Amino acid sequence: MSELRPQVVATAQALFAAAPDWSAIVAAGFPLLLVPEADGGFGGDWGDAFAVLQIAGGEALAQPLAEAMLAAQLIARAGVAQPAGLVTIGSGGGHAIGGVFTGHVAAVPWGRDAAHIVATIDTGADDPVMLLLPRGQVSEGSSPAGEPRDQLDYRGVPALRLGGADHALFGAFLRVAQSAGALGAALELATTHVNTRVQFGKPLAKLQAVQQSLAVLAEEVAAVQMAGAAAAAALDRGDGAFEMMAAKLRTNMAIHRGVALAHQVHGAIGFTQDYPLHRLTRRLMGWRSDFGGDSWAELLGEQALSAPGAELWADIVQRGDA
Amino acid sequence: MTAVFALPPYVPPPGVAALRAEIRAFIAANLPAGDPVHRANSWSVADNGFSRALGAAGWLGMVWPRRWGGHERPAMDRYIVLEELLAAGAPVGAHWIADRQTGPLLLRYGTDAQRAKYLPGMARGETYACIGLSEPGAGSDLAAVRSRAEKVAGGWRINGQKLWTSGAHRSHVMLALLRSEAGSERGAGLSQFLIDLDTPGITIRPVINLTGEHDFNEVFFDDVMVDDAALVGGEGNGWAQVTDELALERSGPERYLSSHALLVTLIDAARSASADNQARASGTENAALRATIGKLVAELWTLRQMSMATAAKLAGGDDPVVEAAIVKDLGNDFEQRLPLAVQAVLDLDLDGSTDLVRLLGHLLQVSPSFSLRGGTREILRGIIARGLGLR
Repeated sequence: MSELRPQVVATAQALFAAAPDWSAIVAAGFPLLLVPEADGGFGGDWGDAFAVLQIAGGEALAQPLAEAMLAAQLIARAGVAQPAGLVTIGSGGGHAIGGVFTGHVAAVPWGRDAAHIVATIDTGADDPVMLLLPRGQVSEGSSPAGEPRDQLDYRGVPALRLGGADHALFGAFLRVAQSAGALGAALELATTHVNTRVQFGKPLAKLQAVQQSLAVLAEEVAAVQMAGAAAAAALDRGDGAFEMMAAKLRTNMAIHRGVALAHQVHGAIGFTQDYPLHRLTRRLMGWRSDFGGDSWAELLGEQALSAPGAELWADIVQRGDA
Repeated sequence: MTAVFALPPYVPPPGVAALRAEIRAFIAANLPAGDPVHRANSWSVADNGFSRALGAAGWLGMVWPRRWGGHERPAMDRYIVLEELLAAGAPVGAHWIADRQTGPLLLRYGTDAQRAKYLPGMARGETYACIGLSEPGAGSDLAAVRSRAEKVAGGWRINGQKLWTSGAHRSHVMLALLRSEAGSERGAGLSQFLIDLDTPGITIRPVINLTGEHDFNEVFFDDVMVDDAALVGGEGNGWAQVTDELALERSGPERYLSSHALLVTLIDAARSASADNQARASGTENAALRATIGKLVAELWTLRQMSMATAAKLAGGDDPVVEAAIVKDLGNDFEQRLPLAVQAVLDLDLDGSTDLVRLLGHLLQVSPSFSLRGGTREILRGIIARGLGLR
């Protein structure tokens, strides 16, 4: 654990619970958590990011913190100075010739509010390129949870090349962190609800069927929290590609199973605009599709098939032993 | 935010690679060729020769004191050895119970005389134990145990019946939970006894399981006389001791690796089909197969992290009851779904014609038992619900 984590966690808990606006999050320095101190950031590690985004997920924070955090990290890694204003991330297609980009970036979280975008662009060549772009022509869209997801179009706009890396896996990891917090918060709401809601003359919690459902939800929360923490640990050791894929896939399974259970024990009460459960579950359902969704499974399967069956165990174990 | 699994990921210490290399070399040299089907669920497969070889090499009783035949290794060294044995499908069933729970219980509650009598043989892989808990009227409701031990001059007289006793027919001793106080109810008045199974008055009869295999037994006690030294721990303390014993068996790698051999064989079969027939190329062209394997790998990795984190907590002297129940329930669910996932993605005739098909057929039949043994799914979820404050 990094030295600054207790302080960062305490600050995040206090701030995110108050539904802060973006300027308050920037003032607290959170977008620069993963940027080295020498570059004006906090010098936090991936474990810190996991802890902070878990809190953000649990509070259903409706701000592009995960995206800004990753964008800043990618910009710093490329040795480029952090631009002013919100920087978010996205993927798209087009061509960048001589520092000029023509094309689009699709489904950009908070694209309409961004000053800049770190975009992974498929140019038709073998490997995508990563560009730092200004905000393009905005066509507004929205996520299932009602958050901005905007298409940005470009014609002959200056672009700065950041390198060849793809940000999708890191984005997937950030969604794991948010999901760990959000699913944990859904469990907490569900637990409180069944302990207070009386039916058949007793709290719902006293019904065995309800107890067993919440036990399963708790198991899924446990799986996401462990997968996310282990992926963060692998990233902080060096290479976390396998772990990020595995954690995202496991998280998608947990959301599938867990969201349904959280709603089930709430009955109609959990299905209202007033009750806070939907702020968690609508985001969780949307996050399943973000940054690769279940498509990582094919890649993990392909890796497993690239060596004899016995090597699968040896490989998983060796990664953890490192 | 509710933290139901607030355990940090476990990171093995430096030097673990050497330990793995050592146990893998042992496995390579000693794993019997045998039937590949026996690589599945291999902690139910008994091979006395393999157990003795493990004992001779120092891989049993690893954490026990040297004085009792053990090797005083760190608990996580034992965990690593266990996961390597299970991942390789090694037949560890003969000694499994003695090494996992009977030995540790004797170290905690037994007398020096009991330790001296039993532990060295267990650590050599020669003395095997079975669990004497379930009875005809006491399954998940263990406190309904009725078999009784009656105090007589110089010892105890035992009468009653145990049921579903795995491996009793190949074990030397049974650690039995018996009602030692006449007229007592539920968890009160119970005591644990370590009973040599060659004592007169004991009858062991097979209960053949649904695949035709002999694993279960019923064990009858008719005026069986044991001396005072058979009592383990405090008279009347049996319920508390059994609770401790069960905690040792819930979160280990055996709770998610029972179907691992099928995943290994699936990968090998897909690769071989791909090499044999470029047109079909199961491994490289079958996207559904790749996705199925990828998801199973993601679950496997997550469960291993959870199991290791819980083991590290246990090794630190804590008692992570809820975490262990979570690992077992999720792990059992995984090892039960794995054969179904393989069945769903491959179009196979279950005619027993290949190792893959035979493994799949075997696991489809036995996997329903995975969430029964060692605490049913419902009991585990009840434990988790208690941890959530619901009961």
